Amino acid sequence: MKIKSQYWLLILVLLLLPFLAKDNRFLGFILGITYLNVFWASGMNILYGFVGLMPLMFAAISGIAAYALLYFIAEWHISFWFALPIATLFAAFVGVLLGLPSLRLKGFYFTLCSLIIQSTLTLAFIFFPKFTNGDTGINQISPPLWMNEPIKGYVFEVILAILAVLGIGFSFLIYHSKLGQRFIAIKEDDVLAESLGVNVVINRVIAFFIVSIYAAIGGCFYATYIGFISPRSFDVLSSLNIWLFVAFGGKATIAGPVIGALLLAPLPFLLQSLEAYKDILSGILIILITLLMPGGIYGTYLAWVNSKK
Amino acid sequence: MDSLLLLIASTVSTGLLLGAIFALVAAGVTIVYGCIWLPNASNGQFFLLSALVAWGLTSSYGLNSFTACLIVLLAGVVLSLIFEKLLFRRLYGVPDRNISYFVITLGLTQIMSGLFSMTFGKWSDQFSLPPLIPGVTMIGPFPMTNNRILVLVIAYLSLALLFVLLRYHPLGRAVRAVFQNREAALLRGVNVHSIYKISFVLGSTIIYLGGLLYALAYSFDLTVAWTMSITAFAIMIVGGPGSVIGALVIGLVFGFTQAIVSNFTSPTVATFSYLIAMLLILLVKPNGLFLK
Amino acid sequence: MNNPTSQLLLNVKDLTIRFGGLYALNKINFQMNSHESLGMIGPNGSGKSTFVNVLTGHFTPLSGEMFFANQTMLGQSSHKLVEMGLCRTYQAVRVFGNLTVQRNIDISSLLLQDAGISKDQYELYLDWLNLKPVLNKLAKDITLFEQRKLELMMRLTLKPKLLMLDEPVGGLATSEVNEMIQLLRELKQYTSIFVIEHTMRVIKELADRVVVLIAGEKIADGPPAEILMNQRVINEYLGSAHA
Repeated sequence: MKIKSQYWLLILVLLLLPFLAKDNRFLGFILGITYLNVFWASGMNILYGFVGLMPLMFAAISGIAAYALLYFIAEWHISFWFALPIATLFAAFVGVLLGLPSLRLKGFYFTLCSLIIQSTLTLAFIFFPKFTNGDTGINQISPPLWMNEPIKGYVFEVILAILAVLGIGFSFLIYHSKLGQRFIAIKEDDVLAESLGVNVVINRVIAFFIVSIYAAIGGCFYATYIGFISPRSFDVLSSLNIWLFVAFGGKATIAGPVIGALLLAPLPFLLQSLEAYKDILSGILIILITLLMPGGIYGTYLAWVNSKK
Repeated sequence: MDSLLLLIASTVSTGLLLGAIFALVAAGVTIVYGCIWLPNASNGQFFLLSALVAWGLTSSYGLNSFTACLIVLLAGVVLSLIFEKLLFRRLYGVPDRNISYFVITLGLTQIMSGLFSMTFGKWSDQFSLPPLIPGVTMIGPFPMTNNRILVLVIAYLSLALLFVLLRYHPLGRAVRAVFQNREAALLRGVNVHSIYKISFVLGSTIIYLGGLLYALAYSFDLTVAWTMSITAFAIMIVGGPGSVIGALVIGLVFGFTQAIVSNFTSPTVATFSYLIAMLLILLVKPNGLFLK
Repeated sequence: MNNPTSQLLLNVKDLTIRFGGLYALNKINFQMNSHESLGMIGPNGSGKSTFVNVLTGHFTPLSGEMFFANQTMLGQSSHKLVEMGLCRTYQAVRVFGNLTVQRNIDISSLLLQDAGISKDQYELYLDWLNLKPVLNKLAKDITLFEQRKLELMMRLTLKPKLLMLDEPVGGLATSEVNEMIQLLRELKQYTSIFVIEHTMRVIKELADRVVVLIAGEKIADGPPAEILMNQRVINEYLGSAHA
């Protein structure tokens, strides 16, 4: 399992950037959001790129984790670091429970089910204000404490950078493990995989669980980093957005989602004048990618390199 | 007593009208899915588009509703042909195209919804079309606007026409043949790709018609797009993807459900129940209720 | 791989399955020992593929029993049966087209990676099937014959006790058919085989015993020579068409 030197370089750059943006809070914030999206995209890639299922309920699971986290912190008076694993596991289990029946459905039907569950959960977030404060959202979320000091400024971005790198690393490990090979077999031909001894259903559930963990952890950090959440933060558009990072960058590769997130996540902030056009532009991008570049940027690049051999 | 009867009468008439409109839109969605394997997630946006453009024509250019609707329908056919050529034709040969189409239409939904917010959304909150014909008729003790009666008639005539077209007209039968068995249709010399084009235009036109009828009978806002999309998809799934009969029957059922629910609470509750119904069918009987 | 003492490999009793109103399989009975090679023939639509699908866990039978090496097969999922030693190939060749031949083989040995075949056996199979030249090609880019051989290689890495082959020579040119028959003959030293075909030509070269299936019912069971002379089989299936 060789890790090429350019990947080490990339990891180094990712870890160093927050220090460079130390004094520029605007850039620092963009960096932080981008790291979260890199983390999320790496996670979604495991289900979408490796196993071949498109989970549009990704954002809803992040939402469940975020709301659960805030609830546990407020009700049980525990610190962020204790609440994090509890909220994550809670959201992941709920996610698997909700997604379980649909895991045996094929491609499009799975996506449709996922979309329905996402929409239902968004409606639930809005119409059950007891935990979520409805559409108003919850604001003034305090950042996590480290040694009794709130984590602020570029330190938070460093933590998010570490999170992103851990996320990438973990998906790399999975890709090169027996589990990852099983995932790919299932994506390529699930009937054949089953006839070779792969327990397709269980493996899909495992993949779904792993992806839910990513969604959940990301949701918890998102809430404490931004300081404000509402049902809109975790709606269908958010799921589609992360999917776009993966598809644009190149699904089924490790670097693809990272590239996609690095390129696209900062855009809404850098091009604030175009914000009204955000939906339109991402819609256009979705169509262009699906029609013209199904392998994404990195995937198309790899195919081009291979054809030269 | 009187007010109860009036309530029932208005619920029935709403149920019939909504049911017919739902059935039309769902039929449009299911024909396109059954024939081309194209699940159109943006059907609600198309529905809204025709309504909004008709509104624009009547309010800004002072056209009467009838002319406006005709123009919209004709423009709709042209638009469908453009979409078919630009977006969908490319993937006709691909085996798993339904999920790609779903994603493409999700993107289309985003684009159209964004465009609407930036344009029509800025001009008004509520929209409606002026009535086709003036006056009120008494059906027994119940008053009903002539406009609404006419819309009802047009809706059911269209449904009947669609049914006849699919069952007896050679083009309609070709569409059904392709849905039921693609390879056999190919063997019988059917030009499958041109059938795809025809069924897409047909399906889309019915959706545009549904939007126009809705706009004639009710006032609406931009949110009808996503509620219609959910409703139409739910009807298609519950009825059975590709089954026009399923779309008609379940469309009526959902229409009445909506009419009844609206008496007690917000219509969003009805939409929520369609979501749940769709989910249950997908998990229990994915082929829907009317397909074998 | 070779079991010197023969055991009862397959024991099928009154196996029945119905689709709609039709009995696709009606009270099928037979047994197979590990030292035998079995064949199954019947016209298209006689239930052969249904039979394979029931035996490999894709369909649940209506009634009857089936045992593999004295363990019950009822209720076991396909992948569990593979663990028990029962593998199959499909009528239409099935490989991971977008992956290289090497990758295909690596993936199939995942199940038994540590308890799987030894390096020597691996090399042996690879040479015997002559797959070394195409290891780095994408599975969709090799010939149909090479794909069929790849299928065999992938199953062999799973150390099967029984390999059910559903129409293994389908689509092959005549010369390739002869080669394949030879390979399948040699395959017998590594695992027991059960060949399903619709012509006697392949089966009579490979099978010690043939089961004849017509309209979901077993109408004959015996050595190929006997089957070819069986009046009922001739009338209902072979007829004047040469096998």
